[in-house]
Amino acid sequence: MNIGTRKILDRSFTAVGIGSIITMALALMVVVVPISWNGVGAVFFTGTVEHRKMLYAEFNRGDSQDLSSEVASSERYRSKVYELLSTFEAELETMAPDKKMEYTSKYSQVKIALQALLGPPPGDTAPMLTRFKYGQTRWEKAEERLHELLYESKWDNSNPEIMGKEYFVSRAVAFEGTSLAALFPYVKYNIEKMLLPEFTFYWGFITDSSVDSHFFGGIWPEIKGTFFLALGAMLFAFPLGVIAAVYFTEYAKPGFLNSTLRSANSTLAGVPSIVFGMFGLAFFINTLKVSESKSVIAGSLTLAIMILPTIIRAAEEAILSVPKTYREASLSLGSTKWNTIPTVILPAALPGILTGGVISLGRAAGETAPIIFTAAVSVGSAIGLADVFSSPTPALSWNIYNLASEHEAAAQIRHVQYGMVLALLTIVLLLNLSAIVLRARISKKLKG
Amino acid sequence: MAEEMGKESNRSNAFVVSARKRAFQKATKTAGEGVLFAIASFVAVMVLFIFYFVARDAIPFFQIRGFTEFFTSSNWYPADEPGEFGALAIIYGSLMVTLGSAVIAVPMGVAAAICLSDILPFSVRQYAKPVIEMLAAIPSVAFGFFALVVLAPLMQNSGGPMLMWAWWILVSPFLLLASIVGSDLLTASIKDEKRRQQLYVLFLILFGLIAVVLLFKVGSVLNSIQIITGTNALNVAIILSFMALPTIVSVSEDALQAVGRDIREGSYALGATRAETIIKTILPAASSGILAAVILGIMRALGETMVVWMASGNSSHIPEPWFNYLEAIRTLTATIAGDMGEADQVTGSARFHVLFAMGLLLLIISFISNLVSERIVVRQRKILSGQ
Repeated sequence: MNIGTRKILDRSFTAVGIGSIITMALALMVVVVPISWNGVGAVFFTGTVEHRKMLYAEFNRGDSQDLSSEVASSERYRSKVYELLSTFEAELETMAPDKKMEYTSKYSQVKIALQALLGPPPGDTAPMLTRFKYGQTRWEKAEERLHELLYESKWDNSNPEIMGKEYFVSRAVAFEGTSLAALFPYVKYNIEKMLLPEFTFYWGFITDSSVDSHFFGGIWPEIKGTFFLALGAMLFAFPLGVIAAVYFTEYAKPGFLNSTLRSANSTLAGVPSIVFGMFGLAFFINTLKVSESKSVIAGSLTLAIMILPTIIRAAEEAILSVPKTYREASLSLGSTKWNTIPTVILPAALPGILTGGVISLGRAAGETAPIIFTAAVSVGSAIGLADVFSSPTPALSWNIYNLASEHEAAAQIRHVQYGMVLALLTIVLLLNLSAIVLRARISKKLKG
Repeated sequence: MAEEMGKESNRSNAFVVSARKRAFQKATKTAGEGVLFAIASFVAVMVLFIFYFVARDAIPFFQIRGFTEFFTSSNWYPADEPGEFGALAIIYGSLMVTLGSAVIAVPMGVAAAICLSDILPFSVRQYAKPVIEMLAAIPSVAFGFFALVVLAPLMQNSGGPMLMWAWWILVSPFLLLASIVGSDLLTASIKDEKRRQQLYVLFLILFGLIAVVLLFKVGSVLNSIQIITGTNALNVAIILSFMALPTIVSVSEDALQAVGRDIREGSYALGATRAETIIKTILPAASSGILAAVILGIMRALGETMVVWMASGNSSHIPEPWFNYLEAIRTLTATIAGDMGEADQVTGSARFHVLFAMGLLLLIISFISNLVSERIVVRQRKILSGQ
């Protein structure tokens, strides 16, 4: 090969390496950016008057006078809609039977779409589920519903070779010649006056409980549950992990026993997370019976075993990085080894140990699989400290799965799901960021 | 040395401390060390417990149904009466996504590790490392949510064009490089410089044309692919590869760093370029460590639950044809997570125990691969320190 080709190969080799690092950074961005962008939308969004009604009725928040004047002004525009509906209903009675049949089914679709947009019509007895008590609380959802009201969606399956294509038919055309035809342009041009959208900062998303399985309200029970689970796991795993690390670094003598213990540590680190969940179910709940069924304590214990190897490794590294001179100085002053460890070595290693602890805390907060069978429920209220031994809890990680995959109206509450993922990501990434900063400060200090 | 100093101080205290007290001190010291040992061996006890408790609930399944059905049939109807428990398709699904993620993650991860250890200057490396750590820190459920809500609809709606662009971006630089190197190698033996250059340009144009035709032909084939469902093996494999990358990068970077400076400098002194040094000397020396990294990364993908549960489609059949990554599949971990809720209510049934059998399978695979990777790392360290 000539020199030029060798140079090109060398350069392109470098490019591949740098390219893969850039790809990793891009992957991080591609995952984090849409989640952050949409997640922020759970807190900052354009809310309608329905949102403020909901806040006042469910959480008793907001000014009742402002609200009633807003409601009154929106009712003024809405009354025309209901007038049009009743006129059309009267007209429907006078129609020929076959036409009546045709229009009745179309009309019921219109009514359903209208109810989804504006909430139940006046005089309707209050619906059972909270989700049907209000119209669209978010403006972008209201716009989607408006489109559903104005256009009927149909599928074109004429060509069996390709997948069916969706197309829209204007409902105004379908009702041409009846009194209802006036409804569609009216709603289209007066929708803002009927819903009064305005910029909303819904801080309650973090601190409210959910209403009607996350259709409205916030994610406080999940945040609290995650907090309890992760802290509980740390409570068990951190002391155990640090003590084990002290044994491994200060007392263990090389040999079969020691290498077996170390192998056990790396084996535990490699166990798939779902197996921890099975073990938690079989051991803590079915055998030890720490609780009747799922509970926070069982989940915390399971998570604790999962994060133990990480804590041990980090603590070991931190203890090993304490300069030998510290140890020797302490021993030369007549202190015993037993005394030196808690007074000299552990304080010097503390920042490093904490770094490992913080990272493990983030890992415990983000894990889902171990808590599925041991601690998590889909719907529940925020639990108190007294309940940790007896009751399961909703948790961010589990509820993200549950809302995205198993919720009956998953597509309608995407904003809640994004908000939850963002909350979890923020918790985990902040913990990791603080660990990175902490470590940077330690390495600076060690350099002098 | 510390031990000796401790003995020294004990001896000097002998004048003031009574024999009884000394005995007491010794006893407390032994007891204290005993407690420390007990706590340190807690991890080992837990590993034994995990094996025992998973196996305890897994063995009844094999007693009831035997091994053949589980490993050779792909009829998975656990809820039927009597149920069918053929897990072949599920095991195959697990292997499929794991292999797919390895194909993406291993070259990328090793390249990134080489870049971090040998190419980038220290100042840049400082900023690249946190990126990798952040990627490792993102909870699996967040990745799963991304796969389900962002990537799956994208694949379903514009999967063909996406595949085409991926093909172009990934393959065109390599084809270009291959044609340059190929024409160089083919003309290397020609002595006459002028003739050599003429032939070189001729070959370059020829290879370039072939490359362009290949790019567009395959590209248009890919472009016309219609992806039926966005929740498929490819989606999961892509996401899992990002989850396996941090492990692969950090472990193989350690392995590369363990290769001494003298080896690198020896190679440079012989006139090798950086790429040649890395490929011909450093990579072979670090190969066992990189193998360990690959094993650990693959295990991460095999044991991952949330992403596959949310985004693999959970359909228990072997794709047609067997390498079709665009079909929905089902994995071991997702089956355990998804079926335990219902199976738990009928504790003692084969339906409950089959999930533990799957867990045991995962556990055994992870145990073996961990042992292997550990042995490899230890051996590499020995060899390198012995040189």
